[in-house]
Amino acid sequence: MLKAMLRGLFAHKLRLILSALAIVLGTAFMSAAFVSGDTISRGFTDLFSTVNENIDVQVTGKSDVPVNPAGGEGLVTALVPQSIVDKLKTVDGAQTVTPQVVSDGARVIDKNGKAIATTGAPRLGGAWVDGDPAVEIREGNPPRAADEVAITANLAKTGEFKVGDTIEVITLQPRQKFKVSGIAGYAGGRDSLGGETFVFFTLPVAQELMLGTPGMYSNVDIKAASGVSDGELKRRVETAIGTTEYKTLTGQETADAQASGIQSFLNVFKIALSVFGILGLITGAFLIFNTFSMLIAQRTRELALYRSFGASRNQVLNSVLLESILLGLVASLIGLGLGVLLGWAMTKLLASSGLPSGSVVLKPAVAIGTLLVGTLITVLAALIPALRASRVAPIEAMRDAARPDKPLRTMTIAGLITLAVGIVLLILRGTKAVDNNVITLGLGSFLIFIGAVMLAPALTRPITGAIGKLVDWAMPGRLGVRNTGRNPRRTALTAAALMIGVTLATGAAVFASSVKAGVTDLFRSDLNADLVIAADFASGPTAGFDPAIINQVKAIPGVTSATAIQSDAVRLNGKDGFASALDVEPSKTLFGLKAKSGDIRDLNAGEVILNDAFATETGLKPGDSTTLVTARGGESPLKVVGILQPNQLVGSPVVSFADAQGFRVPVAQQGYVKVADPSQVDAVRAQMKTLVADNPEVTVTDPSEQLKQSTSFLDLLLNVLNVLLGLTVLVAVLGVINTLLLSVFERTRELGLLRAVGMSRSKMGWMVATESVLISLLGALLGLIVGTGLGIALVKIFGGDFLKLTIPWGFLITALIGAVIAGLVAALLPAIRAARLNVLQAISYE
Amino acid sequence: MAMQPAARAVTVWKIYGSGEAQVQALRGVSADFERGKYTAIMGPSGSGKSTLMHCLAGLDTVNAGEVFIGDTQVTGLGDAGLTKLRRDKVGFIFQQFNLLPTLTAEENIKLPLAIAGRAPDKAWYDTVIQTVGLGDRLHHRPAELSGGQQQRVACARALVSRPEVIFADEPTGNLDSKSGNDVLNFLRDSVRHHGQTIVMVTHDPNAASYADRVVFLADGEIVDELHSPTADGVLDRMKKLDRRGDADA
Ligand SMILES: Nc1ncnc2c1ncn2[C@@H]1O[C@H](COP(=O)(O)OP(=O)(O)OP(=O)(O)O)[C@@H](O)[C@H]1O
Ligand SMILES: [Mg+2]
Repeated sequence: MLKAMLRGLFAHKLRLILSALAIVLGTAFMSAAFVSGDTISRGFTDLFSTVNENIDVQVTGKSDVPVNPAGGEGLVTALVPQSIVDKLKTVDGAQTVTPQVVSDGARVIDKNGKAIATTGAPRLGGAWVDGDPAVEIREGNPPRAADEVAITANLAKTGEFKVGDTIEVITLQPRQKFKVSGIAGYAGGRDSLGGETFVFFTLPVAQELMLGTPGMYSNVDIKAASGVSDGELKRRVETAIGTTEYKTLTGQETADAQASGIQSFLNVFKIALSVFGILGLITGAFLIFNTFSMLIAQRTRELALYRSFGASRNQVLNSVLLESILLGLVASLIGLGLGVLLGWAMTKLLASSGLPSGSVVLKPAVAIGTLLVGTLITVLAALIPALRASRVAPIEAMRDAARPDKPLRTMTIAGLITLAVGIVLLILRGTKAVDNNVITLGLGSFLIFIGAVMLAPALTRPITGAIGKLVDWAMPGRLGVRNTGRNPRRTALTAAALMIGVTLATGAAVFASSVKAGVTDLFRSDLNADLVIAADFASGPTAGFDPAIINQVKAIPGVTSATAIQSDAVRLNGKDGFASALDVEPSKTLFGLKAKSGDIRDLNAGEVILNDAFATETGLKPGDSTTLVTARGGESPLKVVGILQPNQLVGSPVVSFADAQGFRVPVAQQGYVKVADPSQVDAVRAQMKTLVADNPEVTVTDPSEQLKQSTSFLDLLLNVLNVLLGLTVLVAVLGVINTLLLSVFERTRELGLLRAVGMSRSKMGWMVATESVLISLLGALLGLIVGTGLGIALVKIFGGDFLKLTIPWGFLITALIGAVIAGLVAALLPAIRAARLNVLQAISYE
Repeated sequence: MAMQPAARAVTVWKIYGSGEAQVQALRGVSADFERGKYTAIMGPSGSGKSTLMHCLAGLDTVNAGEVFIGDTQVTGLGDAGLTKLRRDKVGFIFQQFNLLPTLTAEENIKLPLAIAGRAPDKAWYDTVIQTVGLGDRLHHRPAELSGGQQQRVACARALVSRPEVIFADEPTGNLDSKSGNDVLNFLRDSVRHHGQTIVMVTHDPNAASYADRVVFLADGEIVDELHSPTADGVLDRMKKLDRRGDADA
């Protein structure tokens, strides 16, 4: 009995393959995200264990100041002095004590004058340590003189450097020339451990250039004498040097700490990517729902026959559910296999750019989770059709298969209510009546989307009819339009699958374009500068220029005001945040700084001007005293001299350049320049360029260009999002193909008739293509409308000056064109089927 | 020169399958279908009536022999040629499922013209519509028409493009006798008054009696024919044919 029913399932191979493909794609994406994430993660864990293999205990300085959120974890500012090293040598059980100098930010300049970049890995610089078992000189000699360096082999390869060459390195100091004395590599023939680069200096040079302080170390590695455990040695070290100023970790702890940062990043990566896999699966659920509905509609007579033989409702229900479980499980298995393969390929690709890799990691939880999610979504999608199948009455075996479509009224009313509830939730959030973002934004948006999906069947005929007017003049077009309206539920569900991706992409596009417009407006209205010097976004947190250069800029004829801005994460008044050093007087012109209270004037060391929000929050007033903690400068007293009026461009406390010397890096990130006469701008620009000509990480541009650069990451983000959403679109296209194939199959007789009365093959194709394009356009249109609506709601809800509601017309139009193309692509196979139809078989087909 | 027939079969052979399962559906059939005449094809079930009609209309290929519609040689035409032939020179009426459910009766009637991108000849179109006698039901979908009305729409559709010949395969097979007679009258009138050529396959002696000539088919061969038939005359011949079949067995 079951066997007979299952045979029914496998009779529709093509449609089954399409449904399975949707699940395969979704699960493959999901598992690939986890597999590659876990593999890379394992690679890093292995890497850090290797790095710390020879370290039993490591001592580092403790920093009070938060890490700059812009990056720079590898930039060491909490240092260990020689006195502590000496103390460590006296610790009982410390066999060897090796003080080290290693820090991020040694940028080697290549032959084109550009700083050699890595893909996210640090560019380390430090002191050469003789006898380190992990590092070996492959060619030449270790650095022995102040002007000598050894470089890692990967650096030598990318820069095409040989022993004896002269290279230039930017560190905390501007570029300096060194002679390459040797090429180094790691044990096991590795050019680099995980894509990082390393420049080895002599100890005093490393201390000066990488740590900024002579006689200091970044860390001290201690090897335990035999019989002393790592934990025991750690305790002894802690007793010797205390735990307030220095951090003592065992080698294992160090490895874990180093890996944990990457682990948490990889977790975000895994989850974010698998969300798109799940979105793909949800899109696939529409397709599966459609497929099962169609299969069951076609098999109504067959099922009724079983019922009349005495099969129970549950037997029918179970047989359909079993079909879906089988389908889901098999497809998820294939998806998982594909995912592992994809994950493997991805890690191999990343490994070629230097990321550590190893054998593929497939955690049992990932395997089970993938199978479970894939199968569960398939079964859920098949549930309603299965229930419908179980309600087939035995009498329907005798009835004509064609049953009229149920009226859409109930569905439409339910949809309107759902939509209304969603909108009310968003309004509640907008008016701040309810503050819970999950309930208001999350549930509200979800309900609006579901409401729109439920309304879609009722909208199908009006919308496709309206669009269809364009093609109504030709018979194939007209027939295609009419066919679209024949089964509004099916058409709408097929279109709804496309809606998912389009809605999300549109919402994001509206929000992003509003951010861009908002930021642009702010810049345009508040910034009164003609030229900008800025460290390149991609050059990392160590890049910048000597703030003193601004004094030379001020001397250029035509320059009326100029200031550098040097920012860093600090602790001010006990609160973690940013502070910036800038010249206050010129900033009044450049940024429109105005006093709310106290004096707004150039600052001396130990003085601070607070931004309005900071002052309000802390209650500090002009004349009050507070403290500043910087990464290198430690704690120092500050006196509040003034409070700024709210200003969009300067949104953090302002300190003097003298106090900024305690910042992590001695460079300014930005400089703004006002020129008296627009005609002088080009001349000033040229002179400014010569001032920073030897700094490859800094460019001279104008504000609009800088704005474009700083908002370009938004475009990048959007592009990544759209590529990832492409998965859902792909699945949705599979759904369109599926629906069309079914339609062609169902209408064989009609198609035959059309051929018999003289419709040509190509016209048959165009008829199918019309239907296909209309379905995709319907989905895209609904998605664009809902997405734009949600985007507008978000912009309104979050408000703020950095948001200015802007509809991305370009995106909307591109999406519509994309929908037409997607529709044409989806039509290809079904159209060929329709065109190839054997006329005689079609008309004699019962 | 004698007037060219509207459709012509010359020693047409049609063989299905091969080896043991081989069926010779047509065995050297030759027949002329005169212009402006109403011909019925009759014969026992499985005698090859539908096959002959499909071969004549270019819906099916033949194994040997030649088929002409007017001066066009059908055998040897490619898909494009056959499509054009069906569009411009041939009309069809099937037993059922003749109409597209998404189009109204009127649109269905105009379908061949719309496909060809031709405007209907107004006078002729009005005449056809008049004869169909659908009145205000013209703007209804097929699902809202009776079986007889649907078949009359199908007839009108076949007529509207003034094809060289109309092929009808048991057009009244699914109708009661009243609706059937309506359809048959309609077809006969189009031959009498408008010079249409019609070839109709039927099982029904009464239907055949509307024709000018009846061709009898048995075992893939033309075995007999009757001019200006009456229902009784046809029945008579059919009985003879059946007896012949029995004698063969
Ligand atoms: N596609 C096919 N494949 C194999 N044999 C076929 C095919 N179509 C028809 N035949 C055979 O050819 C013969 C003639 O069939 P045809 O359909 O022409 O008969 P008919 O006279 O129209 O019969 P009926 O009155 O039952 O419609 C029959 O023996 C039939 O089985
Ligand atoms: Mg037949």
